[in-house]
Amino acid sequence: MTCTGCALLCEDIDVRDGEVRHACRIGTAHILNRQQIDPMVDQEVVDIDDAIRHAAALLADAERPMFLGFGNSITETQAAGVRLAEKIGAGIDPCSVHTSLIDDIVHSRVRTCTLPEVRDQADVILFWGADPMNTHPRLMSGYAYYPRGKNRQHGWEEDRTAIAIDVRRSHTASICKSVHEIIPGRDVEFIDALMLALRNKVPKTVYDSKRVLKLAGTLKKAEFGVIFAGSGLVGSVPRDAIIRLMDELNEFSDFRILPLFSQYNLRSIATAAACEHSGGCTPTPASLHDADCLLCVGFDLASSLPQACDIDASIIVIDPSETLTAGCADVVIPCAAGGVDLAGTAVRMDGTKIDLPSITKTGQTGAGARISDLSIMNRLLEAV
Amino acid sequence: MSGNISEIRFDRFLAVPEREITIVRYHDIFQTEAALKHGKFSKEYQDLSAVIVLDPADLKKIDASDGDHVKISSEYGTVVAVAKKSEEKKDVRANEGHSGVGYMPASVWSNILGSKPASAKVSRSQQKISTVGELIRV
Repeated sequence: MTCTGCALLCEDIDVRDGEVRHACRIGTAHILNRQQIDPMVDQEVVDIDDAIRHAAALLADAERPMFLGFGNSITETQAAGVRLAEKIGAGIDPCSVHTSLIDDIVHSRVRTCTLPEVRDQADVILFWGADPMNTHPRLMSGYAYYPRGKNRQHGWEEDRTAIAIDVRRSHTASICKSVHEIIPGRDVEFIDALMLALRNKVPKTVYDSKRVLKLAGTLKKAEFGVIFAGSGLVGSVPRDAIIRLMDELNEFSDFRILPLFSQYNLRSIATAAACEHSGGCTPTPASLHDADCLLCVGFDLASSLPQACDIDASIIVIDPSETLTAGCADVVIPCAAGGVDLAGTAVRMDGTKIDLPSITKTGQTGAGARISDLSIMNRLLEAV
Repeated sequence: MSGNISEIRFDRFLAVPEREITIVRYHDIFQTEAALKHGKFSKEYQDLSAVIVLDPADLKKIDASDGDHVKISSEYGTVVAVAKKSEEKKDVRANEGHSGVGYMPASVWSNILGSKPASAKVSRSQQKISTVGELIRV
C-alpha cells in the first residue's frame, strides 16, 4: 500500500488490524488520522447534501472565485477541480512556495532527476533550506543518503557527501559532513559568493570565504550532484537566482534539483498550473483579497495565513481532517482521504506517477463512510 | 496609610526589557504528528507549536528563563508563546549561538507574525499562551 503522508509516497506500507508497518511517524499518524469534521453551514452542523448545495450556490453566485490547495487530493480530483474552475472562471493557486520551481522543472529551465536516480548515482547531496528528517523521514534511508545504489555500492560511508545549507542547524544537518549557516534574509549573498567561488574567485562576503571556496571545490568534483530544495530555499530566493546557480554548477559538473514539499500530490497540480499558465503560476484573480469566494481543498488557509479569517470573502472548506480554516468557514464539507479510504493516482515529488490503492477499504458506501472529494467536485460541477 | 510601602513592587511599573529578533520557522515532526493525531485545536498541538527557541544571551537580555512566557510582536500580529533555551549542538549556529534569531515551529503561532523572515520584538510576559481561537478569531 502507498502512504500519502508526504510527497515521497512510500509504497511498502502494510496495514493489518489497525497497526501500520514500515511507515514513518508522520505516515502512521496520517493513515490512522480520524480527526474528521462534520459538514457545516455557517458553523452549524448540517446534512452533507445541504453543505454541498450551499457550496454550489456560493460558487455560482461568486464573481471572482478562487480555488486554493489541491496538493492533498488525488489527480482525478484535481482534474475535476480544474474543470470546475474553468466552468465558473476561477483561478487555481496550489499555495506552495515550490510552484515556481516545479514550473522551472516542467519548462526545462533547471535539470532534475528521479529519486531512484538519486539512490543509484548521487555522490554529493545538498539539503538546502530543507530538513527531511522532520518533513520526509524516509528520504535519507530510502533514496538520498544511506542506501547502497547501483553506482554507489559503498553508500554513505564512502560514496556520498551530504551537505546542509540552512538558517538553522537542523536535525538533518547533524548527520551532514558539512554545514553552512545562512544569515536570515541574506540567502542570495550566499549564492553569489558560491558562484564566484565556483569560478575560483575569492568572494568578498559576510560568509567565511575559505569555507565557501571549499564547498565550491566539493561541488565541482561531484559526478552526480543533487540539491533537495526545501521551503527555506525556494521561499527565500528569487527563482532566477536558483536557475543561475544551477547553470553555473552544470558548467563544472552534473547537478540536478528536486523540490522537497510536503503535500503528497502537489507536483501534479503545480504541473497542471505550470502548463496552464506557461508564463508562471499566477492565478486569476492574482490576490486573495480580490476574491469573493475561496474554495480550500485539502489546504488549511488560516494556519498559513491567520489573517485570512478577516478576508471579506465566503470560504468553503473541503478536507478529510479538521482544519483551522474550518473554524471560520461558511461551508465545511468533509471528504475521504486519498490513499487512505479513497483509491486513485498521484504524482510523486520526482514526477513519477504512482497508483494509490485504498488502505482502509471503506470505499464510498456504507454507514459512516466518507464521500470522496472527487464525488464532491463532480456534484459541484453538475450544480453550478 | 493602610499598606506598607516596602511591600509595593515598583519594578512592575518599569518597562519590560525587550529584544528585536528575526523569526525563523522550522518543521518539527512531533508537532506534525500531534496535528494529525489530536487535531490543530488540541493542547498537544498547542504545546508543540506555541514555542520560541531563543539564544541564552537573548533570554538574559529580556530577563527570562527557559519555560517563561514571552510576548512576540511584529507589525502583523502579536502572540504569547513559551520560551525555550536553545540546546547546544542542536540549535547553535557554528558554535556561535544564534543571538538575534528566534526559531518557531511553522504554525499559526509563527505565521501570524508575517512572512519569513519576520522581524519582531520579544519580551517576558505574564499573559497566558495565545489560543488558536484568539489568533484566528473563530
